[in-house]
Amino acid sequence: MRAFISLLILFLALPLSAAAADLVLIANPKAGIAHLTQDDVTNIYLGRYRRLTSGVTAEPIDLPNESEFKARFYRQLVSKSLPEINAYWSRLIFAGKTQPPQLAGSAEEAVRMVARRPGALAYVERPHADARVVVVFELAN
Amino acid sequence: MRHFARLWSLAIVATFALAGVTPSAFADEAESSLRLRGFGTLGTARSSSNQTEFIRDLSQPQGISNHWSSRIDSLLGVQANWQATDELELVGQVVSRYRYDKSRDPELMWAFAKWEPDARVSLRGGRIGADFMMAADSRLVGYSHLAARPSPDYFGPLFFSYIDGVDASLTLPLGSGLVRGKLFAGATPEKTSGTPGIWDTDGSPVSGIVLDYLLGPWQFRANMAQVRFASDIQFAPLPGALRLYGANTAADALVSDGKTARFYSLGVIYDQGPLQVQGMLNTIDHESGVFQNSHAGYVLAGYRLDTITPYVGVSWWKTRSRNISTGLPADSVLDMTFNAIMAASAVDQTTYTVGARWDVYANLALKAQWDAIRGTAASVFPFQHSKAGWNGRTDVVSFIADFVF
Repeated sequence: MRAFISLLILFLALPLSAAAADLVLIANPKAGIAHLTQDDVTNIYLGRYRRLTSGVTAEPIDLPNESEFKARFYRQLVSKSLPEINAYWSRLIFAGKTQPPQLAGSAEEAVRMVARRPGALAYVERPHADARVVVVFELAN
Repeated sequence: MRHFARLWSLAIVATFALAGVTPSAFADEAESSLRLRGFGTLGTARSSSNQTEFIRDLSQPQGISNHWSSRIDSLLGVQANWQATDELELVGQVVSRYRYDKSRDPELMWAFAKWEPDARVSLRGGRIGADFMMAADSRLVGYSHLAARPSPDYFGPLFFSYIDGVDASLTLPLGSGLVRGKLFAGATPEKTSGTPGIWDTDGSPVSGIVLDYLLGPWQFRANMAQVRFASDIQFAPLPGALRLYGANTAADALVSDGKTARFYSLGVIYDQGPLQVQGMLNTIDHESGVFQNSHAGYVLAGYRLDTITPYVGVSWWKTRSRNISTGLPADSVLDMTFNAIMAASAVDQTTYTVGARWDVYANLALKAQWDAIRGTAASVFPFQHSKAGWNGRTDVVSFIADFVF
């Protein structure tokens, strides 16, 4: 019975993982950037350096902890789990340093925020990146 | 009045804490410019020796010995950040921890305005953190550290947590990494537990420079800081008596007012995927003869296995005796008292650490740690109330729950 349930879970999970689209980083067309490197994105999301080459200040946007995209984003970007990312931010926040990325409630809201603010950046699945935004970085699986 | 002040401070802390955990109060952080957060540690620890008391740093007047105690690690802090404009932020932080006066009275750790006219520049003024750690300015947010507590061998003598002053930092791309320079200056408003009694270092000027280079998973740091003590440790009537007998060199050695202590350190962190390794070296030079010059270092390495991160570490702290003599007979009370003071800042020990951190939830980490301290009988400065039978060896076991909210 247990083996059957395991198998069932495996079958249910397979189509889901196969269907997961690539994560991309999106920016506002007015940000004045065509492409970011992995180091650029790491520096922006970890709050080390948030100045884009165009001179615009980058405003990274995060998704809630419950979001599957968030865990995937940080794993693919810096090979870190969410508790590690949380510990990292508690170091900086409680030292009165850089603020963590702004929080969007959903991928749709993140796209709206990017479309509204020139410096905003967000990670979404590729199908979410519509005409209001441009893709500036693709995360490696 | 003092009682009233304490109640009032506790009320403020409670209000902050409640507001911070009430989901409805600040549910939509993205829309609110005021953010309240908190952190804390519940910890219990014991050592294997009843001949000395293990402390976390020199500010603590009493430590733990061979029975379980939550004294040295348990604390609670709250922080409010108010983003006034895109460039200006106000930050306040209050912490209740075991203090120099044996109380847990809430203490204003940070209260500053931060101005960032540009993503490269940050200027802060007010009560700001003393930036000694490499991975964090705050040594009190246990959740943000891998081990149970910052290495007492390395951070123990750095009893300053904050200064009233200013700092300015500049971050620029260099090569494929980032270079960050920071200057800070101000004065410490802190008191610390001393031998004997409390040492009020209020008004002592502090300044320093920090240079960081961040390159992928690497962070390199060079740091220099200095403090000029604005008061003497109270040894009266010893200095006067020494002068009376012509032991002026010895009497001069007991002066700390106007004397500078200089701190130099180098550090490196490698943090890639599940592996993190960090190491630091420091040397502390004192103009005052009361404290022996020292050097210390630590290496800490952890490897994450899903939610559990086992870690190992080694740290050491050694001082150099000053060999100052009173020239008085060795069996005189003056000579014996002076020599006892000179010996009180001696350290010669190595600590081996093994532990594991378990990230139970996103905001809660449990830690278990064993420290084996191996030193000489003369190594008394890192501890409180060492007795005649202290042989320099003790084992400390700690169980810690660190949380943020």
